[in-house]
Amino acid sequence: MKTLKGILGYIWAFLAIFIVLATFMGNDYFSEQLASATGVTVSPWFSGGEIVKTVDHGTYKTYMHRPVFDALIGEKREGFVQLNWEPYEGLPPVIQEQIDYNGDSRKDFLITLNTHTGDATLTAQSPTVLSVERSYRLKNGWAVRVILKK
Amino acid sequence: MKKDTTDTSAIKKRSLFKTLLLCLPMMLLTFMMLSQGSIPTAGERLFALAVTFLFFNLLFFLMVRTGKTDRFRSILFITLAVVFVFSFISNLIAVRGSMALSQAHMIEGETPFCHLVIPMTIIPAAFTKTIIFPGKILGKYSIGGMFVIWIGVSLALGRGLCSWFCFFGGLEDGFSRILKKPIIKNISKKWTYLPYAVLLGIVLMSALTLSPTYCKWLCPFKTVTEYVEITSVQVLIQTIIFVSLFIGLVIVLPILTKRRTQCGLFCPLGALQSVTNKTNVFEVRIDQDKCIQCNKCIKVCPTFSIDEESLGRGSVKASCTKCGKCIDACPQKALFYHVKGTSLNSTFDRYRLLFLYPAFLVLAIITGGFMQDAIVKTIKLITTGTIM
Repeated sequence: MKTLKGILGYIWAFLAIFIVLATFMGNDYFSEQLASATGVTVSPWFSGGEIVKTVDHGTYKTYMHRPVFDALIGEKREGFVQLNWEPYEGLPPVIQEQIDYNGDSRKDFLITLNTHTGDATLTAQSPTVLSVERSYRLKNGWAVRVILKK
Repeated sequence: MKKDTTDTSAIKKRSLFKTLLLCLPMMLLTFMMLSQGSIPTAGERLFALAVTFLFFNLLFFLMVRTGKTDRFRSILFITLAVVFVFSFISNLIAVRGSMALSQAHMIEGETPFCHLVIPMTIIPAAFTKTIIFPGKILGKYSIGGMFVIWIGVSLALGRGLCSWFCFFGGLEDGFSRILKKPIIKNISKKWTYLPYAVLLGIVLMSALTLSPTYCKWLCPFKTVTEYVEITSVQVLIQTIIFVSLFIGLVIVLPILTKRRTQCGLFCPLGALQSVTNKTNVFEVRIDQDKCIQCNKCIKVCPTFSIDEESLGRGSVKASCTKCGKCIDACPQKALFYHVKGTSLNSTFDRYRLLFLYPAFLVLAIITGGFMQDAIVKTIKLITTGTIM
């Protein structure tokens, strides 16, 4: 047993250098494998969640993300929905858009965004819509998060 | 430790030929990793590669020849921290124009992922299959890339990661070497449990809030990397907290105690790495027959990993970062690197070399890119007046 432990110890110690080489040389490969094996993505609280609807306005598009209420287990009582307008060059000075965030065919809010200043105003048409969290000037356009409750 | 005695007399200077022979694999590996298979044609890049290669291999040569580990490791480790900060900040300024991270950058996943975030992400990833960090899963400075490095380096070195990989640790290491003698000598043992409390606290809080609590509120290293732009009172308070922690734990206390106080008394990743030390094959042992209880090792250990109990037990605590400072300091050569499972009575120099190759390679690889970048930028600064 003692000899076996010794042999295993030496093997692991010797392999350590190869583990290091594989870690750095195969970093791209292993990280892709790790990502696909685990299926992890960036939390929707940061990324905004998956895009569920795209509206083409000709010179620009509206991307609507799914409402985010995700909690560790179940859902939180308060969440948000993110809207992106891209590309920046195609945006009108003021965007005004009626949004149905939950797909029930009823408009939930009217959002108005000044694309020069980033000022966003909200007219809630549903009791689940609370306020504008803030607007974000992205590389290729604007994003707004609207706070929702369950 | 059992009665076996270790042949520590083997620490004497090696012959030049033997040293060069032992350094040859490291020369080849560092050249391969630094050049990444092609020699640059641009003058300043070639110069940076040559300087980095020579610097690394001179340090490794001296490690092998003199038998001193920490003396030369610390030079490279401190260099890593300095070139990392210089390279990282200059890149941020070139790309974003400032060190401040806006909410828009976070939404776009442009926050580089660092290893300190890892403990907070595990529980949410297990439950929600998402990573609670505003970064990218794949690509440069990505979440996936850092996870692979963390797994690989932990398998190879255990908590050795903290002294042979962490690009922040060198800052404290540097400050802790400023004074000849510590001003604060006695630090209660209770404080060494604080990292575990911080780990538990931030893991639970991050899981409950689905946001990286440590990064938001506590990480001192945001001071020298990037920080959220101050747009609210909450962010202002967070900024005051992390800057204060940086000044206290990374500058002032390391100077006064001559210890790595952030690593030893606060870092949650360090606490997690202590667990990986339990399963790692490399360890530091103490030959009780040689030990004269002079307590020098206890006094110099930067992470509070040796106490009287350790001397009695013949092994250091799980929080050991394998920096080698105690081994260098011991006048009796009673401390030594050891490979778990192997005998304690064979020459310990073999174990030390088995540890040094992967450990030094990790440090060289992680320092290499930042150091070459810093050299190229310094040349640009001298010749053109700008680093951009």
